[in-house]
Amino acid sequence: MIIGAALLVGATVVILGACVLLILAVVAVRARRHSRTQRDEMLLSPLRPPLITVASGEDDDGAAAEQLTWATGVSRTVLDRNIVEMLTKIRGVPAEQLVHVLEVHGAVDAAVVEMSSRSTVKRARAAQLLGLARAGHTVPLLVEALGDEAVEVRNSAAYALGLIGDPAAAGPVLAAIGAPERGLPAATAAEALQSMGVGISEVLRDGMADPNARTRMVAAHLSGERSFTRGLPELRALLDADPDLTVRETSATAIGRLGRSEDVGILVRHTVPSEPLALRRACVIALDDLGEAEAIPALAVLLDDSDPRLAELAATALLSMGPDGRDALAGHENDPAVRSARLLAGLQKASA
Amino acid sequence: MSWDGFVEGLRSFVLWSMDVTAVPIIVYFILINTSLLVLIVLAYLEFRAQQRRRSTAVSWQGAGLAPGVSLLVPAYNEEAGIVMAVKSFLTLRYPRHEVVVVDDGSSDQTFARLEEAFDLVQVPRELPHEVPIRAKVLGIFVPRDGRTRLVVVRKENSGRSEAINVAINAASEPLVAMIDGDSILEPDGLLHVTRPFADDPTRMVATGGAIRPVNGSRVVSGRIVRVEMPQTWIPRIQLVEYLRAFLLGRTGWSRLGSLILISGAFGLFRRDVVVEVGGLDPNSIGEDFELVMRIHKRLRDEGREYSIEFVPEPVSWTEVPVTAKVLRNQRRRWHRGLWETLWAYRSMLFRPKYGRIGWLALPYYWLFELFAPLLELFGIIIVPLALALGIVNVPFAILFLVLAYGYAVLVTLSAMVVDEWAFHKHDRWRAIWQTIAASILENIGYRQATVWWRLEGWWSSLRGKKHVWGVMTRTGFDEDPA
Repeated sequence: MIIGAALLVGATVVILGACVLLILAVVAVRARRHSRTQRDEMLLSPLRPPLITVASGEDDDGAAAEQLTWATGVSRTVLDRNIVEMLTKIRGVPAEQLVHVLEVHGAVDAAVVEMSSRSTVKRARAAQLLGLARAGHTVPLLVEALGDEAVEVRNSAAYALGLIGDPAAAGPVLAAIGAPERGLPAATAAEALQSMGVGISEVLRDGMADPNARTRMVAAHLSGERSFTRGLPELRALLDADPDLTVRETSATAIGRLGRSEDVGILVRHTVPSEPLALRRACVIALDDLGEAEAIPALAVLLDDSDPRLAELAATALLSMGPDGRDALAGHENDPAVRSARLLAGLQKASA
Repeated sequence: MSWDGFVEGLRSFVLWSMDVTAVPIIVYFILINTSLLVLIVLAYLEFRAQQRRRSTAVSWQGAGLAPGVSLLVPAYNEEAGIVMAVKSFLTLRYPRHEVVVVDDGSSDQTFARLEEAFDLVQVPRELPHEVPIRAKVLGIFVPRDGRTRLVVVRKENSGRSEAINVAINAASEPLVAMIDGDSILEPDGLLHVTRPFADDPTRMVATGGAIRPVNGSRVVSGRIVRVEMPQTWIPRIQLVEYLRAFLLGRTGWSRLGSLILISGAFGLFRRDVVVEVGGLDPNSIGEDFELVMRIHKRLRDEGREYSIEFVPEPVSWTEVPVTAKVLRNQRRRWHRGLWETLWAYRSMLFRPKYGRIGWLALPYYWLFELFAPLLELFGIIIVPLALALGIVNVPFAILFLVLAYGYAVLVTLSAMVVDEWAFHKHDRWRAIWQTIAASILENIGYRQATVWWRLEGWWSSLRGKKHVWGVMTRTGFDEDPA
């Protein structure tokens, strides 16, 4: 016999025992969630009326906020958690009052301490709290956390820096995207940088020369979103020669948003059939966004392109360029691309 | 030959078979269970990380880097639910998305319903031919209001894959999501599955989302308002299978960076990559699996850096078969698709340039997905025969069965713990008991039937029989129009 009876019995007992344990685990997880929800609800219920008063901006004399500062023990922990959640949704005086409650509770100071906790979750939540409390003095601490070993902490630190909005943090945030092994997700970095005002344009220019493609893409994208015209030379260079197609497409879109008449030639250069189709289309859309009349002859040539979508995009762009653009459609009235573009423009106009 | 002689001959044959196969089967049993254990551990690690991420998540509404998405909806005779489905897709929370419906030559009122609901007008547009298609496009339509981001394409009937290829050609956004017309998406589903693209915009090429059975749940205006257990056992057992497949299997493979299967019911891809590899193969039965394999092969052959991820958050809900007949057809098709795709990409096995795909994922699918029913069938035949002939000790055989099926239940229970811990979709306690019961009942009849159906699918492919797409009879949702 290959398997001994004792081994078989032992293995069966282990498997069945593990099954029972897992069933108990399912029950325990659910029961714990249920009891914690009930406990939190019970602890929070006396504090809910003043909390709502403050959050809704009706605490003119500050009495409700004062009442919230009296919370102690577990009630205070539960209250602080709810305040942090509320701070993600409210602004202005109510937010300032709630931040004051957190400060009185010592939650902001505790968060500074927890930034060096061994628990990833505690470090991440502490970073978020510092951001929500707009604790400007903790920017160096948060910048340091951009290099944390846990992505959750890096994410939370970038989020907090975005909330604080200090442009001095823009460089480290952008650089963190391409950090080897400990990169910051591009989406979080982009959202944080978006909140840092106009003082980040130079940082974005530098970012467009970064060796990391994600960093260049975020920098190019934000330069377009925020209309930082000083980044135009870098955007043109990326469109021309970046090895990454996504970066080139992003640069074309950005140039469409903030470019000038001299950018028509650059965009047109990348609408030729030898370029990737996705880039050609992005450039035609950018020419449409740019709206410069110099693009009309090149767009008219594209009406005969073998790609029907490109031809339709060119027709749409020409239709939006006034009488000269519409004149360029002469001789193409029966082309499907032109008829389609006209029809869609007509529908949009009628519904406007 | 006398009866005694026949029995003796059979006895000798069974004894010989057991002697010959005992060691390979034991080794196989140990290997499959160990690999499942490894997947459970990997999934646990991934979920721990995911849970940490979720508990520290900061709000993301997709502003900025969220790429636009085209939802591709092939529709064939979907008159009953297509309007509600499209309306729910259009109202998903996402900053930029369009819906592209391809009416695949429906013989019912699918197009008429859409035309009426959205006041469609025909556009004299010519579709690009980036992905080659054979069927004739009959017309392209858009809503008259000029604002609603819907495109409806009518074409001759040529199957789901071609319908999706037409939709890819008609799509205008950089990401394409392939979904079934009868699927229900979570309101934030797109935000979840596009997040990896926004986080890693230059490398991410595809993401798959978790799919759950919707049978029994309460649906209002194309949205799930209360998640309930299915009312019968066949879909309940499938719920257990889905939990296992998505919460352990795909999560584990994704953790290893070796995800090779994204479900056809919901998958999100970079449009340019799908175009580059030629879209879905209309001749493939396992077209979703085949597409992901083709992407892996192409990008690895070219030495490009890329990533394919699985997003464990429930994204899409789909109606699963409620009758054995429909289930049989589905399982035959799945296994046939598995075999044909694995065979088509056999050249990737054990080749260093394909990395973990060639060394781990593909061998696993060959050994433990493709061949599993064959070995299980052998056991189903030989064990009762050996018992009847008195060759094996009865308590020993029972113990072995309890161990084998107990292990299957253990795997399911692991998925249940993960589900309860991370997602907690079912409110009622009854759902827990029903899921546990389903994980046990699965081993009594259901599992053996699916073994047989899967082998039928494989056999029909080996014999070169043409696959006939069955009709998935929908019972519809417990829809409350209020």
